[in-house]
Amino acid sequence: MNSPTPHRGAQGGVTPGHYYGHGLPYLSIDNYPGKIVALEGTDGVGRSTQTRLLREWLEVQGYGVVETGWTRSPLMQPTIELAKASNTLNKLTFVLLYACDFADRLEKEIIPALKAGFIVLADRYIYTAIARAGVRGIDSQWIRQLYGFAIAPHLVFYLKIDADALARRVLETGGMEYWESGMDLKAGDDIYESFRSYQRQLLKEYAAMSEEFGFRVLDGRKSVNSIQEELRRQVGEFLDGSGSPKVLSTEPGA
Amino acid sequence: MKAATKAGKKKNALTPMTFSLLHATDFADRLLYKIIPPLKAGMIVLADRYAYTAFARDVARGVDREWVRDLYGFAVQPNLAFYFRVPIDVSLDRLLARRVKLKFYEAGMDMGWSSNPTESFRLFQSKVLDEYDSLVREFGLTVIEASGSITEQQRLFRKMVSENLEKQTT
Repeated sequence: MNSPTPHRGAQGGVTPGHYYGHGLPYLSIDNYPGKIVALEGTDGVGRSTQTRLLREWLEVQGYGVVETGWTRSPLMQPTIELAKASNTLNKLTFVLLYACDFADRLEKEIIPALKAGFIVLADRYIYTAIARAGVRGIDSQWIRQLYGFAIAPHLVFYLKIDADALARRVLETGGMEYWESGMDLKAGDDIYESFRSYQRQLLKEYAAMSEEFGFRVLDGRKSVNSIQEELRRQVGEFLDGSGSPKVLSTEPGA
Repeated sequence: MKAATKAGKKKNALTPMTFSLLHATDFADRLLYKIIPPLKAGMIVLADRYAYTAFARDVARGVDREWVRDLYGFAVQPNLAFYFRVPIDVSLDRLLARRVKLKFYEAGMDMGWSSNPTESFRLFQSKVLDEYDSLVREFGLTVIEASGSITEQQRLFRKMVSENLEKQTT
């Protein structure tokens, strides 16, 4: 209601492991040893597969890993599922529900894991929410301020793909789904056209964030193995150079 | 929306942040369905609590002052906003007279400041009232002293509202 004050500049201004904006004043996260590695990319790009493989590899290396994924909070998941099924919510309430889901996971999963020195693997982070909100006409500054309580990840990988390659891949693996096709935007009944136009807009939003949030871009059209190899190389390099978290002993002491 | 808020409250599972965001979601829902349509139709919307409640309550819980104002950036600025101010003791007496038990979140029990609900209420609500006092200045809320009789408050309230409506419609 009062004029918004931009509190956060581009990525350059925010150190990984710190809050993007105002943060949670009641939860100080300074000097927590854990790291956040986020994988971003649109629906069907292979993100979850890559997350799973990366987790296995990290655990074999002896790192403690906590995985977190979009709409997986125990608090919000039932409500979000219900809202999706019944189609009763509008775009603004959806955006806020997603933020609430993220806040719940941030405080109950991500921050405790960081404190205990784990690597938090995020299968999507806040950027998907920002992209989806952008496509739905939500003010871009407002949504960035909203997620000012999020912690800047140490690494963000973006699996990049074009709408045509994505369409073929999604059709091969189970078909187009209502929300992934942006059918709520009511662009018409042709789900194929809606999917392509929606995903094209989403990809544009991701591209716009790439520099702002320091995405490491990976070619999502490559094979699962070659993407995974590149991921492991970059994550390994970062963890080696970061000094911490040190390789944890395999018994669950943390 | 209500279901999630209720479920979260029942389990006492909410953090200050999720409490704030759930209420904002509920507010957004009401804004779009119950507030904006009648405004468009030229009607008067009477809101029993508005975004200011969130500003006072969420900040008392430790949520960032500026963040919560930005959060409600989608809200419509009211034409008139009244703040019924009452000392803590009066509000406690009134609440206790009507109900056996103070509600968990209303008493700020989630903050863990006191295991005694009445004491916790006092601690928490005094922070809420402090926030309201600064909101009065920041947003120009009209204060009605609410410790007096209902008849007296209502007389004053009606007078202020009708004067304002005349000003705005002429």
